[in-house]
Amino acid sequence: MPENVLTLKHFFEEAREGRLTGIRCGKCGELAIPPKEFCPGCQERDWTPVPLGGKGAIVSFTIIRIPPRGRAEEAPYAVAVVRLDEGVSLLGRVVDVPLEGLRTGLPVRFRALVTGEQTAVGFGPA
Amino acid sequence: MRRVAVIGVGVTKFGKHDRTSPELFAEAAAEAIRDADLAPSAIQALYYGNVTGGEGERQLHMGPLAATLLGLPTIPTTRFENACATSHAAFRHAVMEIASGVSDVVLVGGGERVLNIPTDAATEYFAYCSDASYEQSVGLTFPGVFALIARAHMEKHGTTEEQMAHVAVKNHRHGVLNPKAQFRKEITIDTVLKSAYVADPLKLFDCCPFTDGGAAIVLAAEEIARKRPRAVWALASEAATDTMFMHEKRDLSRVTATERAAAAAYRRAGKTPADVDVVELHDCFTIAEIVATEGLGFFEPGSGGVAAEKGWTSLGGKIPVNPSGGLKAKGHPIGATGAAQIAEIVTQLRGEAGGRQVEGARTGLTHTLGGNTATVLVSLFGRA
Repeated sequence: MPENVLTLKHFFEEAREGRLTGIRCGKCGELAIPPKEFCPGCQERDWTPVPLGGKGAIVSFTIIRIPPRGRAEEAPYAVAVVRLDEGVSLLGRVVDVPLEGLRTGLPVRFRALVTGEQTAVGFGPA
Repeated sequence: MRRVAVIGVGVTKFGKHDRTSPELFAEAAAEAIRDADLAPSAIQALYYGNVTGGEGERQLHMGPLAATLLGLPTIPTTRFENACATSHAAFRHAVMEIASGVSDVVLVGGGERVLNIPTDAATEYFAYCSDASYEQSVGLTFPGVFALIARAHMEKHGTTEEQMAHVAVKNHRHGVLNPKAQFRKEITIDTVLKSAYVADPLKLFDCCPFTDGGAAIVLAAEEIARKRPRAVWALASEAATDTMFMHEKRDLSRVTATERAAAAAYRRAGKTPADVDVVELHDCFTIAEIVATEGLGFFEPGSGGVAAEKGWTSLGGKIPVNPSGGLKAKGHPIGATGAAQIAEIVTQLRGEAGGRQVEGARTGLTHTLGGNTATVLVSLFGRA
């Protein structure tokens, strides 16, 4: 049901199981990461959930060396914007890639980063 | 719609203070009301800006508190929060309250205090201005947001870390000339390039500091402003928004909200970038100044780095940018920044900026960016 995929809770519950979900507009074909009520492109509300393969390439990245409170143990760590093969982008933590090996265009693959109740978007080697 | 003018400005010293954020605002507001040559009782409303009071000072309901500390406890007031563009957003709404005829004299501004809390806590609270689900959850910080933009700009246009360093060096040089600035010390390109990485490719000296401070503006309707020779007209004040998600930005090397807010402001004021004599823009990071000088139409897309390197944005250059020292050297008390930028432009257009005066400046522009480039305000100002 579109109502389900429109929620953040549903996106991250699916992501926790390793399934990345996008939504596609039935009118103009826009592909987006939920949640959205109206399509930003055509203003229609006709989303259909579509599974995403999770493969993509780094568009831009940074290495966070001064982290926010509670993440001192994790730093330095990499965060990247990844363009997925389906054409939609997603931000995530890059793991299991040496920091010095990071570059734009590097192929990566989605993986869920699970810490207790929290699920975050991660990317590892393709 | 009635014409609206700035008739008074006030700014505290920026830096570390042992006073609460509404106290800092009240100090600036008292200066602005004196500068306007008005009785405090002439103020009919307060538009108040603050961002992290709830987190860092355990204080919400800041508007009435600011009014109370100012000694005007009965004026209508509302607190604004638009990340780092907070008090510029408040300014736009205050302009509309006067333009619409609801009030004749309105006070607007903001206060922020963050140097009372540890740096990692301030970094966390600032990150609340990015999306919680997709961005805070992976540890993205604000230097991180602008690092993503910097890398995209470098790869697309060949912008270099040295060009970014020129922005920091120039703004520190300007800051020396501003008695209210947090940093009044010149730095070199080497100082920037040899500083530690915070979020690659941004280094410590690419980043503005954490700052405590307050700023205030008194706005008045045309009938009141016309009798005051130091009045400066608000020619336009426009806002634009972009998606909150970094992953949805169509081109990370651009800030499209800046381009849209600027286009709207130029159109409303009947001005072009070539008409602008002096600019205060949002240099939270050096790359932010480079991208903003492009988005505001002063330089072609991709040439902002070259412009910085060649000194075109320096006092004495083609288009002086951030004569106050900018966020980089003057400091960035986020809830007060927009009002402080407006205060600088008003001071410049009055010809009262002393050693950092842009000679003969008649038209000025302020640009404030909020959060992960999702909010931008652009205002234009002119002498009568």
